[in-house]
Amino acid sequence: MIIIQQLITAMLGSLGFALIFHVSKKYLISAAFGGFVCWGVYLLAAEFLSGFFFAPFVAAVVSTLYSEISARCFKAPTTVFLIPSVIPLIPGSSLYYAMHYAVSGDYLQFKSFGTQTALVAFGMAVGISLVSGIFAVVFRTIRVKHAMPDK
Amino acid sequence: MDIMLELGEELLSSGAEVNRVEDTLCRIGFAYGAKKVNVFVITSSIVMTVIFSDDEELTCTRRIMRSVSTNLSRLEQLNNLSRICNEHTPDIGEVKARLKEITTHKPTRFFEYTGSILASGAFAVFFGGTIFDGIAAAFFGAIICLLSRIFAPVCPNRVFYYFSTAFLVGIGISITASLITLLHSDKIMIGDIMLLIPGIAITNSIRDMLIGDTLSGTMRFIESLIWAVAIAGGFMLAIAVTGRIAL
Repeated sequence: MIIIQQLITAMLGSLGFALIFHVSKKYLISAAFGGFVCWGVYLLAAEFLSGFFFAPFVAAVVSTLYSEISARCFKAPTTVFLIPSVIPLIPGSSLYYAMHYAVSGDYLQFKSFGTQTALVAFGMAVGISLVSGIFAVVFRTIRVKHAMPDK
Repeated sequence: MDIMLELGEELLSSGAEVNRVEDTLCRIGFAYGAKKVNVFVITSSIVMTVIFSDDEELTCTRRIMRSVSTNLSRLEQLNNLSRICNEHTPDIGEVKARLKEITTHKPTRFFEYTGSILASGAFAVFFGGTIFDGIAAAFFGAIICLLSRIFAPVCPNRVFYYFSTAFLVGIGISITASLITLLHSDKIMIGDIMLLIPGIAITNSIRDMLIGDTLSGTMRFIESLIWAVAIAGGFMLAIAVTGRIAL
């Protein structure tokens, strides 16, 4: 039940952010679906992987793949799909608790939530860069074969 | 040249990554018959030197003062425009007209409000709040959106803006939650933090660094860290002031 609730709210949240960032109407649904995919993969990955690094990493990898593929399908920049998709991964809640414990002077808890926040953010970033890096390399080699103006 | 810089500036301030801007400008340069194009982009400036085939060399710089307001549909249109430039090389006047058309097109505020309401409400529930928390978070989400409209232009810088918004909203949430005991102030705040937090900027900056744009990555990273601290500080102060340091 809680999983379904999270998946739906993740999707709505992504949709909301897509609206804030003015994604064109024709891409809204697929951007929102990206949030769904992202959180679905995260929950699945969290079942098998421990720690705060690998699950966000896997989720980011899959969502980046999803965004790169939809970008190619729709002939739009990847960012249009990528940013709304990875939104659910952003560690808003652990950041809040880190801050909360910092105020109340519980430094042990602050440290643990702070580290968690940093690890999740790092995992996301590595996942995204890995896939977009690979895509960039692949497409560059294809483009070179089609002869770019000589540099 | 000027048009290209204009295009670059617009791209950058609608939230494009640094290396996308560099890549786009390079390609347009080549499409318009440049022999060599050197572009250097960081988040606050663009420097560009173009060498044409008759050994004419032009350098332009552009300081970018505007802060980024992510607008993905504008980004997409600009991307389309640069694609057209690459393939058909239309004449300067036409490009200028197209660019103007894209940049003067103001996005409707309605979507921003709907988006904020939807996003903050959804994330309050997402992180374990009840439906009522979601509604409260959505209400404050709308307030954040309103504040960003009237407050942001008045503030001297983003740090101050984030700090004061977080403080005001934090106070509002704490008071509401203490009046209506049904609500969980922590979940509502989390929902609204998600709206404010520069999560995208942090992720993008780490990505920039890993791709190789260490300089702009570092700049953006430090900048967003300071923002995050400002937001956290605003909420912390609000919590401390209203004296509800209890989960």
